[in-house]
Amino acid sequence: MRAVWVLAMNTYREVIRDRILYALVLFAVFLIGVSLALGQLSFAEQARISANFGLSAIHLSAVILAIFVGSNLVYKEIEKKTILTILVRPISRLQFILGKSLGLSMLIATMVLGLATILGLVFFGLGLPVDLKFGLVLVGLLAEALVLLGVTLVFSMITKPLLVVCFSLGVFLIGHWQNSLNHFAQKEGAGILRPISWVVNNFLPNLERVNWKDLVLYEQPLALWTKATALGYCVSWFFLCLCVATLIFKGKDVG
Amino acid sequence: MSLLEVKNLKKSYARGLLGRRVEVLKGLNFKVPAGTITGFLGANGAGKTTSMRCILGLDFPDSGDIFMFGAPPNVESKRRIGFLPERPYFYEHLTGTEFLQFYANLTRVWKKPELNARIVELLRRVDLHFAKDRMLRTYSKGMLQKIGLAQALIHEPELVILDEPMSGLDPDGRLALAEIILETAKKGTAVFFTSHLLYDTERLCQRLVVMRDGLSIYEGTTDALLEQGGMKIEILFKANGLAQTKVISSQEQLQIELGELLRQGATVIEVRRTRLSLEEIFVNVALRGVKASGELK
Repeated sequence: MRAVWVLAMNTYREVIRDRILYALVLFAVFLIGVSLALGQLSFAEQARISANFGLSAIHLSAVILAIFVGSNLVYKEIEKKTILTILVRPISRLQFILGKSLGLSMLIATMVLGLATILGLVFFGLGLPVDLKFGLVLVGLLAEALVLLGVTLVFSMITKPLLVVCFSLGVFLIGHWQNSLNHFAQKEGAGILRPISWVVNNFLPNLERVNWKDLVLYEQPLALWTKATALGYCVSWFFLCLCVATLIFKGKDVG
Repeated sequence: MSLLEVKNLKKSYARGLLGRRVEVLKGLNFKVPAGTITGFLGANGAGKTTSMRCILGLDFPDSGDIFMFGAPPNVESKRRIGFLPERPYFYEHLTGTEFLQFYANLTRVWKKPELNARIVELLRRVDLHFAKDRMLRTYSKGMLQKIGLAQALIHEPELVILDEPMSGLDPDGRLALAEIILETAKKGTAVFFTSHLLYDTERLCQRLVVMRDGLSIYEGTTDALLEQGGMKIEILFKANGLAQTKVISSQEQLQIELGELLRQGATVIEVRRTRLSLEEIFVNVALRGVKASGELK
C-alpha cells in the first residue's frame, strides 16, 4: 500500500505542477463568473440559472481532467520511458495502475473541492442554501469522474491518447443519454434502438444515476438509499475498469 | 556465486502491418558473478537492450530462464537491484532531492534522518549537491545521467544494471561516472553495463559478455579476450616529407614491408609491437564474426 501511496503522491504532484491544470481551473472560475451574469438575464430564475451553470462548470472541469489527463496517465509513462525505472522497483503492475489512478482521483477531488468553495460563496451571495444536498451533488460529480477515469484507463491500454479521448467522450455522452435511449427503445416500432439500448445498458455505465443536480436546482427529496446504491454502482464500475486495465497491462511489454 | 544467470533466453517481436515476428534473442546464455564489473557488448541491434528489459521484467521473454540471486525474479530480488536506462527519462517536475526520495520510498521503508543522510551522501558523490533543489527539467544531460545513477544506487543494491551509462557525456563526465562505478564495485556491488565506449569498458570491466545476432559469442574475463586478440606491429615512417603509420599483423609481413619502404627511400622512424585494443578485437569478434573462446564457449 505504501508504494501505491508514493506513486499517487507523485502523480498528484506532477499534475498540480502542470500549467494545464491552472488553465482548466481558470476556465471553470470564469464559467462560474459568467453564471452570475447569465442569471441576471432572467428576472424570476436568476438563482437557478446561476446554480445550474456553476455546477455544470465544475462537472465539465472534472470530466475534462479525468478524460484528458487520464488518457495520458500510463501512455505518457511508457512513451517518455519513465516507467522503466518504476517497474524495476518492487512494484506490481496492479500497484502501478492503482497509484496512478489514486493520484489523479485525489487531484480531481481537490479541484472539485476548490471550485465548490468558490461556487459556495456565489450560492451564499444568491441566497441559495449550501447544505447536504449541495455536498451530495459534488459527490455525484466525483463519482462520475471516477467512472470516466476508469473507462479512460481501459481504453488507454489498447490505443493512442487521441482515440482514447474520443472513446471516453463517447462513453460520457452515451452515459448521459442512456435514460432517453431506453425511453425511446420501449416505444412501439423502436426497431434497432432496442438491441442498441440493450448493449448500452449492459456494457456502458449509466452516468445519469449520479447526476444529482436537480437536488439543488429543483429541491428534490434526498432519497439517500438510491444515492448510496448509485455510488456503489459507480465504485463497482471504477474497480471493474481498473481490473480490466491491469489485466491488459500485465501482459504488455513496456520496454 | 552468480547474482544473475540467463539461460536459453528467447524473445521475438511482431513487426509491420502483418505482424511478422522478428527473433531478437535466439537462446542467450550468460552469468554475472558477485563482486565484478561485467561489460555487455554487442553491435547495434545485437539484442543487448532487449536482454536487459527481459531480465528486469519490463518485457516478457518467449522462453528461457532468468535467475536473480539464485531464484526466478521476484519482489525481493527487485529490492536488491538498481537500474539506469539508456537515456535518462525522469520526472522533470521533481527536484533532485524529491526525485531521490521518490525512488528510495518506492523501494523500501526509510527512517527520515537515514534517508536524508543517504540522499546528501549520494548527491555529494555524484557532484550534484549544488542542484539538489532545482527541478530536473533544468538539468543538463550529464547531470541527468548522474542523478539517474544516484537513483539506481539510492537503496544500496547488490547488483546495478546500467544501459549505456556513458553515452552522450563529455570526457569529464565519463571520467566522473567511471570513478563512481569503480567506487560502487569496491563496496561490493556487482555492476553489469552496456557501452559502446570500449576504451572505458576495457578500463573498467573485469569480465565481458559479447553478443552477436541474439546470442552470446564470448563470456569470460577481459584479459583473456585481449590475449586472444594477439599482437599488431606498427611501422612509423617518413615518406615524401610526411610522417605515416602502417599496421601489420605478422613477422614475415614486417620483413617484406620494411624492405619495400627502404626501397622507396622512406625513413623508418620506429617499429612498435602492441596488443590489439578491445575496440579492434570487438570489431573482429562482434562485427566480423571471428571466433573467440570464453568460459562457456
